[in-house]
Amino acid sequence: MSALSGILRKENSGLRTRLLVHGAGIILMAAVFWVFISAVEVLRIESRESDKEIQKYLNLNKIDFGDPLDRTLFREALDIFYNGQTQRNDSVLTAIDNLRQRQFSDPDYKTGEKQSGLTWNMVKRLSGMFLQFIAVYGIVLIIIYLLAQRIAVYRFIKMKQHRESYLTQALDLINNARANQLGLISWSVVRKSVFLFMKALVKGMLLMLLFSPAYVIAYAVKTTIDTSSILFMILLGIISNGVLIHTANKFFTFLVAESRKGYVQTAVVKNLHASYEWNAPEGIPLRTLLNIKHGFRSHVFQPIFFNARFQFIPALKEHASFLVTGLIIIEMALNIQGHFCYELLQQILYKQYDIAAVIIFCIFLTVKATEIAIDIWEHKEKRKYGY
Amino acid sequence: MATKTFTGNSWLSILASKKDLPWLTIWIAGLGVLWIWDALFLNAPAFARLQIAFLNSLFTGVMVVLFSLVLGWFVGVSLHMLEHSKSKVGFAVISFVTDILRSIPQIITVLIGYVVLTILLHNGIIRSSFVQMLWIAGIIAIAVFLEVADTIRQRIDYFRTLDFVDAMLCCGIKERRIINVEILWKNSRSHMLHKLIAIFGISIFLQCSIDFIISVGLSTDVSLINFPMTLGNLLANVDSKQDILALSNLFTEPGYLPVIFVRHLQGLSVAFCIVFSLLCIYMIANGFVRRHKLA
Repeated sequence: MSALSGILRKENSGLRTRLLVHGAGIILMAAVFWVFISAVEVLRIESRESDKEIQKYLNLNKIDFGDPLDRTLFREALDIFYNGQTQRNDSVLTAIDNLRQRQFSDPDYKTGEKQSGLTWNMVKRLSGMFLQFIAVYGIVLIIIYLLAQRIAVYRFIKMKQHRESYLTQALDLINNARANQLGLISWSVVRKSVFLFMKALVKGMLLMLLFSPAYVIAYAVKTTIDTSSILFMILLGIISNGVLIHTANKFFTFLVAESRKGYVQTAVVKNLHASYEWNAPEGIPLRTLLNIKHGFRSHVFQPIFFNARFQFIPALKEHASFLVTGLIIIEMALNIQGHFCYELLQQILYKQYDIAAVIIFCIFLTVKATEIAIDIWEHKEKRKYGY
Repeated sequence: MATKTFTGNSWLSILASKKDLPWLTIWIAGLGVLWIWDALFLNAPAFARLQIAFLNSLFTGVMVVLFSLVLGWFVGVSLHMLEHSKSKVGFAVISFVTDILRSIPQIITVLIGYVVLTILLHNGIIRSSFVQMLWIAGIIAIAVFLEVADTIRQRIDYFRTLDFVDAMLCCGIKERRIINVEILWKNSRSHMLHKLIAIFGISIFLQCSIDFIISVGLSTDVSLINFPMTLGNLLANVDSKQDILALSNLFTEPGYLPVIFVRHLQGLSVAFCIVFSLLCIYMIANGFVRRHKLA
């Protein structure tokens, strides 16, 4: 009893340490971003002051800075007023050219909208977008967590059934037919093989869809489906960028590793069901894929599943970060206005680096919050199993 | 019967038993078929662009793998050494920094790297395409090298639980040699190789995505021609985008399918290159795990 309480105390302090590290990370990043935002603001003020000074020269009605004669006259006038300060006068002329060029090319001047940095209005606008981003992220994360487990369980059971891939089955069918019938292949074998090849092709297409970057899928259906809707974003977040397949693969790896452990053989000896046939008396009913948490009672797969799930929880952290990457790609690549990450790209384009920094900090907070939640969840699970 | 095992399908069965090699073969064969098809039906300038883009993406991916290996090895071994040293300050600092890096989504790290690259390009500090690709590879490596570092630490921790390490220490072999040569080089090459294959896949995905995003979103700031041609920015090209958009026609007009493979070849080829490569690299990595029983 005292040993168990010792372990739990140690585990509690472990969680506390992890939370402290997360907290320190957030504080450090907040400080770094605050310094960065302040520096951007100082530079912006300096730049405005300097622009004001230069604008005075541009406001002189009688001088056309596009005319070489006027420029030479202006330069000579500067030399008279600031005699001997050649470098200063050169800098003034360069600054005038720069400002004129920016007035033609800068998006600030092009749109006529004054980019005033991080204002309360901007913060309010960003908050709405951020909440929407978190909602989409939360929904996609939960669906991927549930779906990935089911895909991995299905794949694991298929592996235990010793089923070969459709392509191998088709090749085996042809080889066996050739061996048995001295090179002649019957019509039924051809039909079966073609059917298996078709199945392999469909499976391949489905896999390619799961590995497709979101922008490929989105552009392929853009004229048919409204790609700017939240629902489509959620769907893309789940099926694209390989997030689902990678998460499922991780869980599958844990299942395989667990199934090789000694306790599985012990459980089989102790008469737990060990058949992996679908719907067989001692096998696994197919419908358990809908209720995987409670569906494998008295089957050897139950402890395998729970132990794999236990290891899967901390691994979710890296998948959550990858999922955020996927969502950022979706929002940025699809150019959907009014979305959080699209706004990030726009702010970088308009050189509003302070706003971009705030958006990046919010994304960092989202990942950190997920990590904290997963650490607490893992801790609770450990306590449940008496670790 | 003896003749049968040496002819016909014997090489096929050898290939199938290797698990990862069939997918490597499928990848190369698939790209080969695409190359021949494009050579026949794609216009010459687009075909040249596609080849350059593919080779550039491949080169950057390989460089990401090399940089990640060096960075991951250095950080993984350093963390282990610092963890077992008397002073824990170094370990705490590096762990803290890596913990923060882990919480920044990879695409954000890469995006920041690209913003710096555009500033360097703008100021004329970087000009050569080769240096640009190295820069991009370096940035992606920073975003992904922690996976290598984690694998290295897991392997060292695993071997430390065995008598293996203590026995070697008793024999007077230096700890540095035990870790770098005996554990990592002689006994963990398969694990590392598997991780590096996976990193190659991630790097292709990140590179294509960021190039696409930059080309779509920031192209007014830095002209596309400033960046080396990659699969990502070739896909963001207007022609390619229109080719991909043409796929929508199939929903209403299935008979359009054969036309797509001839008329909209540039976009389709780029998209196929990306998606097919990602799929095959994933399958190769998975096959590698099964062949070497790493899981």
